[in-house]
Amino acid sequence: MNNPISLGLGEQAISRNPEDILVAYGLGSCLGISMIDPITRVTGLFHAVLPERTNGSDMNDPTAAFKYVDCGIENMLAAMVKEGANKGRLIVRVVGGANMLIAPGMTSTFDIGTRNIEKARVKFQQLNIKVAAEAVGGHIGRTVRVYVADSRVTVKVIGDKEKEL
Amino acid sequence: MQTTIPFDQDLLDKLSAIASEGIKNAAAGFSGMVGRKIEVDSPTLEIIPLLTIPKVVGGPEDDAVGVYLRFEGDMVGQIMMIIPYQKALELVDMLMGLDKGATKTLGTLERSALGELGNLCGSFFLNSIAKSVNADIRPSPPAVMVDMVGAILDIVVATVGGISEHVLLVHANLMDGTRFVETDFWVLPDMKALHGLINNSSI
Repeated sequence: MNNPISLGLGEQAISRNPEDILVAYGLGSCLGISMIDPITRVTGLFHAVLPERTNGSDMNDPTAAFKYVDCGIENMLAAMVKEGANKGRLIVRVVGGANMLIAPGMTSTFDIGTRNIEKARVKFQQLNIKVAAEAVGGHIGRTVRVYVADSRVTVKVIGDKEKEL
Repeated sequence: MQTTIPFDQDLLDKLSAIASEGIKNAAAGFSGMVGRKIEVDSPTLEIIPLLTIPKVVGGPEDDAVGVYLRFEGDMVGQIMMIIPYQKALELVDMLMGLDKGATKTLGTLERSALGELGNLCGSFFLNSIAKSVNADIRPSPPAVMVDMVGAILDIVVATVGGISEHVLLVHANLMDGTRFVETDFWVLPDMKALHGLINNSSI
C-alpha cells in the first residue's frame, strides 16, 4: 500500500490496484476531486485548475479536459463507469479551492478557489451525485491522498498531520 | 500546446539583457535597504511551460514563502518571487543583520520584511524594463504568503491558465559576503504587449 501516484496540474488517474495511493500535492485554489466506488474499488482523482473551459487555446485538446472542474467531472465520471464503477454508489470528496491571495484589492478579482468549489457543487448537483465530504475554502494549501486499498481519503495542511476526511 | 506569441531566441536574448539590468537594480535597492553591499550573480532566464512550475521549484508540498506583485500600465502581468521556507529564514537574517540561523519563524515583522524585499526587487526589476522599452508600468503592493509551493503557485497558474501556456522564469542568487540566497522570480507578462514593446524599442 505504498505506491503514490502524484497528479500535477490538470492530471488524472483511475486505479483499482490496492497498492496505489493517488495524491495531489499542494492544492491552493485548485481542486482535487475524488470519486470512489467502494464495492468495485474503482478509484479516481483529478487535479483541476480552473472552473470551466472557455474559448481558450486548448479547446480542441482532449488531454486538457482535466484542467477544468466542469469537463473534468464529466470525463472522470464517464471513465469511472467505463472501468466498472456504479454511478449510484460513487463517494465523491472535494478538496482545495482556497483563496491564497489575501492582499487588499486583489482578493475578489482572483478568487478562483471559490469559483472552483461552486462549479463542482453545481456540476455534481446537475449529475444528481451527492458530495460526501469537502475540505475546501479558507486561505490554506492542502494535499489530498486517496488510498485505493481501503477507500480512505486524507487531507494534510502545512504544519499539521495527515487527517482523514 | 502552443503560446499564442511564440518566444524566439532573439526576444529571449533581449529579455535577458533587460532582466540582468533589472536584477542588478534590484540588488542595489536591496543594498540600500539593509545598508550593506548585496551582490547578485548573472541571472538566468528560461521559458517554461506553465503546468511544470511546481516541479521546478522542488516538491509541490514543500513549505515556501511567496511574494506576489501585479503590474499594470502599458504592460500588465504578475511577478511571483518564491523562496523555500528555510531560505526565507536566512533571507530575513540577512535583511535584519542577524546571525545565520537566528530567525526561526516568520511572524508579522518577518513577513513584512520579506514583502518589502519582494516589493523592492519587483519594482526595480519592472522599472528597468519600463525604462528599457520606454513604457509606463506600475506595480501593486506586495502580498506575502507562507504555504506549500503548489498552493502558492496556484495563484499564478489559475490567473493565467487558459490564456498563456508559458511563463518567464528569472533565477538569481543574492549574495552578502559569503552568504547567498537563491531566488526565483516568475514573471508573467502579457506576451503580446511585451513582444510589441520590445520590438518597438531600440534595444
